[in-house]
Amino acid sequence: MKTTGPTLLIGLDGATFDVLDPYVEAGVMPSLGALMKRGSRGVLRSIMPPLTPPAWTSLVTGKHPGQHGIFDFFQKEEPGSIYFSYASSQDVRSATIWSLASDAGRRVISLNFPLMFPPPPVNGVVVPGGMMPWRQLRLGCHPPGLFARLKRLPGFNPREMLDMEMEVKAIDGCPEEEYADWVELHIRREQRWAEVMRHLMDEEPGDLMAIMFDGVDKLQHLCWRFIDPACRPAQPTAWERGMIERCERYFRSLDGLIGDLVNRAGPDATVILASDHGFGPTRDVFHVNSWLERMGYLQWADPAEAARRRAATDVGFAEMTRHVHALDWSRTLAYAATPSSQGIHVVERVPGTETPLPEEVRARIILELAAALLELRHPHTGEPLLADVWTREQAFVGPFEGLGPDLSMVLADGGTISILPADEIVARRDQVRGHHRWEGIFLAAGSGIRQSAHVDELSLVDVAPLILYRLGVGIPDDLAGRLSSQLFEPGELEHRAPRTVPAAAPVSATAVPGADLRLQPEEEAAVMERLRALGYVE
Amino acid sequence: MFQVDRQVLESILALLEELKGDWEYDGEIGPGTRFIADLGLESLEIVVLATMIQQEYGRLPFPAFFDEIGRRPVEDRDVTVAELVTFVCEHRQPIAQEA
Repeated sequence: MKTTGPTLLIGLDGATFDVLDPYVEAGVMPSLGALMKRGSRGVLRSIMPPLTPPAWTSLVTGKHPGQHGIFDFFQKEEPGSIYFSYASSQDVRSATIWSLASDAGRRVISLNFPLMFPPPPVNGVVVPGGMMPWRQLRLGCHPPGLFARLKRLPGFNPREMLDMEMEVKAIDGCPEEEYADWVELHIRREQRWAEVMRHLMDEEPGDLMAIMFDGVDKLQHLCWRFIDPACRPAQPTAWERGMIERCERYFRSLDGLIGDLVNRAGPDATVILASDHGFGPTRDVFHVNSWLERMGYLQWADPAEAARRRAATDVGFAEMTRHVHALDWSRTLAYAATPSSQGIHVVERVPGTETPLPEEVRARIILELAAALLELRHPHTGEPLLADVWTREQAFVGPFEGLGPDLSMVLADGGTISILPADEIVARRDQVRGHHRWEGIFLAAGSGIRQSAHVDELSLVDVAPLILYRLGVGIPDDLAGRLSSQLFEPGELEHRAPRTVPAAAPVSATAVPGADLRLQPEEEAAVMERLRALGYVE
Repeated sequence: MFQVDRQVLESILALLEELKGDWEYDGEIGPGTRFIADLGLESLEIVVLATMIQQEYGRLPFPAFFDEIGRRPVEDRDVTVAELVTFVCEHRQPIAQEA
């Protein structure tokens, strides 16, 4: 039985209180400030890796990547494969708040969330976001016919709502003269998504109404030095002053949209604001494949080809297959396939053969790499380059852990990795850029939720059980997240007791080739000889 | 030896016909139409289209297909409708025999 009014989930991709609090204090975000007074707030700790596709999937499933199967923008085809495919809703191997609410007869609206293409057949409405190309948005809208209805809205503009060039600029940067238009485009983009949400809230409201604004992430990547008060130039030029004001205008506009949606949801609504990860400043880029080459674990296929690809910014074919033809697979034992995953994969076959690499050899390589990574020093500061290295078992325990990287890295300055060849193992950017951090935001307001409260840190996976509870939907017993009692007024959970239900049968786990391999002594000797010949073992 | 199934061709052509208005493309689409050069798609858009095709025909080895395209000279990095249909017919899951 549903126990409260509708639930409004507002996702702010990459939002951090380090940015939002100063804007609230400066009066730029009054609606957010009012919501903070009405509700409970706290840091929302992201998952490994703190990256949009796996992190939002963790929020909507209440599970970690090893349990839901999403690790990156691109997805390993199968545990032993070197091929990666575009991650889509077909790769989400778990129930979600969308499916659980639908199965319980609740109506949902889901706008601009990643991994929603092809659209799951929910009871309600889906307009996917993430890497959904605008030209195919018609196919992404659920139910059929929705796209045609939305096209009649005056502000409906798929090109501006899902412009992939904006993604590229957020990561690769753009000329200074393009910054202003780029920020303005994000202001319009959020307004266009909000217009769709307003229309749906008025015309076909849901029990769970969710929208994600992803401009926060994009702006913070490119414009961190204009957004974070601690990083703003002390003596800004006229152009820099203009950019500071323009970024402020983005957040002011976003606040207006949040305020409007909260009002529209009504006084009985539960309002939840959450980000998939936080953000912070960085300058470092770790060229991990070049480091692996120096360590003898990786061989480039053709230096000329690799150099040519250095300038490539194309996404799609290039992102999915760059590493496949950039590397000499007959001499590569470990590699990073994408910069976003911050992970290293160890191959599962003896290089140049079809023979599975024995598990004990793989395990030894992984431990050696982890130790070497932790020993790495920053060439400029002499400090450790990495804050932490996680093995797959530490990061991704679950039935789908075989699809994740064997090692996941956290750079000390919160920086990024590059998979491209470089002369320097660690490059420093001229300008501070923003990049993902663990500490995201959480804010909830509504009947029975404590007001003006600062709660202890929550986990990203704790959001799904809260949403299901507020919808009056049973919370499956296989969720990693827990309903946090600290959010509620005394007696609330006794008055409206949460209900735990048995989870649906789990999706079958992925098999890891070689995991059960037991080699005969002569076979093992042959494998070791091959590795010795390649210089991987002494 | 696999054969190109006319139904697959017609189904993919119907999908493209449905979308071409959104692409502001008013030309004819046939087996020889190229996705990038003629329809103006980005490579990622072909990847996403492939995901939609998988809904109908099951998991297909698109990464290896795209890898092969990525290895071509820059001027040949494109896919025709016929190539896509041939690939789908070659690799789709076999349909269970009716009793």
